[in-house]
Amino acid sequence: MQQALQRLAAWCYQYSSQVCIPAGRHGLFLETGSSERLLGPSEHIGKRLQQELTQLGYCSVAGSAPTPEAAWLAAREGLHIAGSEQIRRQIGPLTLNRLHLDSAQQTALERMGFRQVRDLLRLPRKALTRRLGPALPDYLDRVLGIRPDPRAMYQPPESFSSRLDLPAEVHTSQGLLFPLKRMLEELCGVLRGGDSAVQSVQITLGHEADDDSLLPLGLQSPAQDSDRMVTVLRERLERLRLPRAVRSIRLEAPTLLKFNAGQHSLFRDTPAEQKQDIEQLAERLQARLGRDSVSGLTGVEDHRPEHSWRPRTLDERPDCIAQPHRPAWLLPSPRRCTIHDYEILAGPERIESGWWDGRDCRRDYFIVRDRHGSTLWAYREYKPGRGWYLHGIFG
Amino acid sequence: MTSLSTLLNTTPHLWKGRQPGHGQRACPTGHARLDAHLPGHGWPLGAVTELISAKPGLGEFRLLFQALANTGKQGQWVILVDPPWIPYPASLQGHGLLLERLLLVRTGGARESLWACEQALRNGRGGAVLAWPEQISFARLRRLQIAAENSAKLAFLFRPENVAREASPAALRLQLEAGEHYGTLIHILKCRGSRPPQPVWIPQPFSTYAKNRHQTEHHASLATHNINTALAGNPLSAIAPGPGHPRPKQH
Repeated sequence: MQQALQRLAAWCYQYSSQVCIPAGRHGLFLETGSSERLLGPSEHIGKRLQQELTQLGYCSVAGSAPTPEAAWLAAREGLHIAGSEQIRRQIGPLTLNRLHLDSAQQTALERMGFRQVRDLLRLPRKALTRRLGPALPDYLDRVLGIRPDPRAMYQPPESFSSRLDLPAEVHTSQGLLFPLKRMLEELCGVLRGGDSAVQSVQITLGHEADDDSLLPLGLQSPAQDSDRMVTVLRERLERLRLPRAVRSIRLEAPTLLKFNAGQHSLFRDTPAEQKQDIEQLAERLQARLGRDSVSGLTGVEDHRPEHSWRPRTLDERPDCIAQPHRPAWLLPSPRRCTIHDYEILAGPERIESGWWDGRDCRRDYFIVRDRHGSTLWAYREYKPGRGWYLHGIFG
Repeated sequence: MTSLSTLLNTTPHLWKGRQPGHGQRACPTGHARLDAHLPGHGWPLGAVTELISAKPGLGEFRLLFQALANTGKQGQWVILVDPPWIPYPASLQGHGLLLERLLLVRTGGARESLWACEQALRNGRGGAVLAWPEQISFARLRRLQIAAENSAKLAFLFRPENVAREASPAALRLQLEAGEHYGTLIHILKCRGSRPPQPVWIPQPFSTYAKNRHQTEHHASLATHNINTALAGNPLSAIAPGPGHPRPKQH
């Protein structure tokens, strides 16, 4: 039950940034006042939540009031109390057992002959404290909003996990579509709530007496859209052959990624947004291909072309001298060549350097053209060895 | 009463066969001759362009310099996926490409490379992705085309010559070969709208050199200077002309 509440709290986070899971109760508190402009009055939000929870397979009641405790009372009755001055009037007629009291307090009050909440509200606080301790008047004050009622707010989770025991064994893979779809929808509600997304989901199918089967779902890019996941799921289920009947399903998303909302916007033109895009791309590529797979480029102060560049990280500023007469591409290592095969178009450009680090060299660079019409960069080496080499391509 | 021509001109979904580049957003190539034949008068945005050539070094990358420089100036990224050689920062910067907007992706193999290319195309909006796939299936190419479409990117694939006859979903296919006067001859194999029957010749940096050389062989040192000017696009940053021997002694 607590796990389900945790999941639902995460799911509710899409409708309210202040969600609270009260201890020892089967319910949740949502602050809806700030969402009113977006979602309409509390009454509408309540109805919408109930409808969507029904679709996810939950039974629910909803009510609203200016204070959490009054809302709790209102939920049972389906009431929507608009202002704090109306709390007293609207909860007055309720019977005492509706109040969130422990059974000892409940019996004590009944023995004293109280029947309705109204009776209790009429009593002076001092008398109540004397007879029943300070907890009850404190509670009533919080119901009425006389005393503030701060609560620990729910924090959206870093990962998602949910488990479903199927009411009956499922023998065909297509039979898993409906429950899995529900679970994915719940996941997506949680993702929308936390402004997060997933790129992979791990589904574990539990069998009666066999090892679990795994059904991983992978996406091309992080998503929080259940339709997209269900499309992938459908394809996977079509090709899935179940070894045994399935008794339970576990759905896990071990890492929730930050969602790039820009995928919905028409233009993403600000530098910050583009930086965010490129960083996400880099992360994704690096996740699969390794850290060194993505880099920028920068110049290095060295006359030898092969030492005049290096990869840079994306937050490092590039620093380079422009040399437009040099080729766009360098060969990974110079290749020996016979200069007679080429026509020399320009040169020489003398490059002489490197005596200080033991990589002494003296070369004359020429722009040459081969018989296919390709323009290449060749050099004649004098030091350390002698000979002609190809070193670049004017792409 | 509405005339037919009004209808034709005001209905955006109507595509007219003889009107090149109808509705095609494009980025100028910097070559007026080429632009004149391309739909939208430039490289198609949100579409895959295949550049086919038998050999590298025919000016296939140079063709993109202007578009890639513009991409960087607009704050967009140019992503190189597995280029077969090392991009030379000094040269790229010299041609106006912004290094701070250049991303280099290195993968382990052809499969990974295509995956990375698709990821790059799907990411964000705008910018350019360049890749060098040797082999790619029609279906995979179509996926790249759709990805480019959705993210309004310039997508350039450098392809070997043997794919020229294969069917391709790319929006634009150009085949390059060495042309006369040291220029490049561009065959437009496929484009949206009507396709020009004749290849387009565009000059390369040494085209002027070739003409000069044919006219005045003995003014070689002057020609060398022109070459530098032509390559650099800026006489001040030209390399120093050779010390008196434009054609070196050969072994």
